[in-house]
Amino acid sequence: MKRLTFLIILLALPALIFAGGQKEKAKTTGPQTVTITVWAKANNVEHWRADAAVPAAKALNAELKKEGKNITVVVKPIYDNTPWGQYKNKFTMAADAGEGPDIICSGHEDVPVWAQAGYIIPLANSVSQIQGMYPEFGDVIDSLWNATMWHQKVWAVPQDTEARPMFFSKTNLKKMGWTDAQVKALPEKINSGQFTLSDLIKTAQEAIKKGVVKPGFGFWHRPKKGGDYIQFYVSYGGKVYDPVKDKLILDKNALLKWYQFQRKVVTTGITPKNYIGTEWKIWHDTVSHNNALFWNGGIWQWADWKTNYLNGDESILFKNVGYALIPSGIRGKEGNTLSHPLVYMVTTEKASGHKYRDLVIRLLAFMTTKEINTKHALQSTHLGILKSQMQYKPYLDAKFLSSVTYMLKHNWYQPNDSYYGQWFDIVWKGMTNAENGVKTPQAAVDLVVKEMKIELGDNVIIK
Amino acid sequence: MGKETEEIRKIKPGRPDWFWFLFPSLLLIVLFFFLPIVITLIISGTNMSSTTGFHAWKWVGLNNFRKIAILPETADHFWLTVKYVAVTLAFFNIGMALVVSIITTHISRGTGFFFRALWLLPRITPTVTYVMMWKFLGANAPYGVFNQLIIQPLGLAPQNWVAASSFLFIVLVNGYIGASFGMIIFTSAIEAIPKDITIASLVDGASMLQRIRYVILPYIKWPLLFVTTYQTLSLMTSFEQIMVLTDGQFNTEVWSLWAYHKALQNYWGNFQWGFGNALAAVLVVVGIILGIIYLRYFKFNELVQDPKIESL
Repeated sequence: MKRLTFLIILLALPALIFAGGQKEKAKTTGPQTVTITVWAKANNVEHWRADAAVPAAKALNAELKKEGKNITVVVKPIYDNTPWGQYKNKFTMAADAGEGPDIICSGHEDVPVWAQAGYIIPLANSVSQIQGMYPEFGDVIDSLWNATMWHQKVWAVPQDTEARPMFFSKTNLKKMGWTDAQVKALPEKINSGQFTLSDLIKTAQEAIKKGVVKPGFGFWHRPKKGGDYIQFYVSYGGKVYDPVKDKLILDKNALLKWYQFQRKVVTTGITPKNYIGTEWKIWHDTVSHNNALFWNGGIWQWADWKTNYLNGDESILFKNVGYALIPSGIRGKEGNTLSHPLVYMVTTEKASGHKYRDLVIRLLAFMTTKEINTKHALQSTHLGILKSQMQYKPYLDAKFLSSVTYMLKHNWYQPNDSYYGQWFDIVWKGMTNAENGVKTPQAAVDLVVKEMKIELGDNVIIK
Repeated sequence: MGKETEEIRKIKPGRPDWFWFLFPSLLLIVLFFFLPIVITLIISGTNMSSTTGFHAWKWVGLNNFRKIAILPETADHFWLTVKYVAVTLAFFNIGMALVVSIITTHISRGTGFFFRALWLLPRITPTVTYVMMWKFLGANAPYGVFNQLIIQPLGLAPQNWVAASSFLFIVLVNGYIGASFGMIIFTSAIEAIPKDITIASLVDGASMLQRIRYVILPYIKWPLLFVTTYQTLSLMTSFEQIMVLTDGQFNTEVWSLWAYHKALQNYWGNFQWGFGNALAAVLVVVGIILGIIYLRYFKFNELVQDPKIESL
């Protein structure tokens, strides 16, 4: 009997321990304190993604006091720099257990996934509705709302955006014999489709031949998995999404041309053999020290190069590095760039275990000001998201940012489609097969088509 | 002795002493081994993903397994895993472990201890640090040690060797860690062989190879069974070193890493828990089948028989 009692106590112990995590109960009368938690994936120069909530809460509390409301908002901003997969996983687990944050900052592609899972709430039924909700939301650049839409509703508020340019070494081009005027005209030539991806290969080959850069250092594309690669598929006329049919698209012809390009950069010797998977540190070190001719990356890397590789001396970058859109693969077609806005989403009462969703949305409005967003934009070299920032002196004074903002006119977004992750993984694997020479570009395309049909079935249109 | 036991059992009929004796380990096995397998099998029959969450999923029967059967990449992952487990096991986790333990038990005790301690270094180094060392060993010039010290002085073309010889790298990275496990077990087993037997073999004029074949190996059959089984299953299911080294690129996505990627590491975040669990379920089934085969091959029943000397 004693042993049985002991056993019962032993089994009941975990239940007693876990019973501690009770949900917050809302007080209905008297002074109230509402805690709002914000999660963001960020490194030390991107901390404003979460910390924006601190000054915003201060402003919100002042407003609430003015309105005579007996509510005080306390915020808990949490940022971590775990890889995206882990970050999203952590949120999913927390939200499903009813212990998620009130605001989650993540990529816009999470909107359809988390909306379907019931973790986030729609904020408005249309763009005009959200623009009218708070003046701060009305200030957001109109086109950015496209990235927050899913099934005709607005599910998020943009936090930042960027462009992903083709960088080039101005000094190395000049060593090849290019004049200052030619170097200066390159972004415009890319913009108008006069300088294509084939020209990029030829120029890089010439640079190697003339000994300006070492063999294999003519073109260093992004070394690891990422959305940037799809820009080259778009360069060859590929489309990712059909908004009318609300389905993903796989364009076999564009895919083949893109895979042929990826293979050609290796066979022409402008990119090293077995290059994919090169360490980020090696990549940053090489490109920031002017050892490559062309490389494609993101504008946020500018801050990284300056701070971590060039002892904070931005003038070296301005002297050596130029930037343009990703050249087209088709002559006469304009260049493109991918923007991947991060967005704030508001979680459901069930996912967060908290009420007061209206107050959370109101806090978001206070987080979306030109003062706070410019601090983030400057510190992390991301583009601003507000119309008012385009006339805001501190933002305008940032030479690099103001010189790349024009790229947003040529940008595109990845679709808010819950199957996009699978689409991307299959296409990425095909690309690595083609570039590494494991399969011919045509065989890689055939395999992608086969896998796409099995994994996505009717959710993708194969052209 | 046997009779006494019988008598005790007769005095306390039906009292399940064995149950309380085994209860703690049974509880652990049920909670941490049996239940996860059941949960894996259940989830593998669903379409559970980030989109459905843990509430809005549906039963899809054997659809996930059907998908595994028809996907063109399945065969690649399968044969890569077989090759990887077999080669790492043969050359390192068993082969190298045996070589190291036999050599270090036949030299002076202090030197043996020193070399065994060296072999433990890969295991006690944090995975990320350990794998980074390999990465920078094989990285492209001017960073890679291998390229700088050997390839370039010889006038050969440098390249990223982790990518160029990816299979060799995943075997080496895992093998150097795996060898130490068998080494410890085999060393203690070899040292436990009664000295009169080894001395007798020396007196009889047995060569080193004959001693290994007829004395050492038969005596360490039990540990061999254990290490082979344990390390096969462990190699089949562990992927963290490969994930850090290549993340499955350059044809190194073994089955368990494939399952992990599908279930937990989709780049844009829609995790396929149902499909990933179906992949894991295949590993569980293969693991159980292999376990049974090993037990039969090593004649497990004979090994667990009552010692003949005591039943006389």
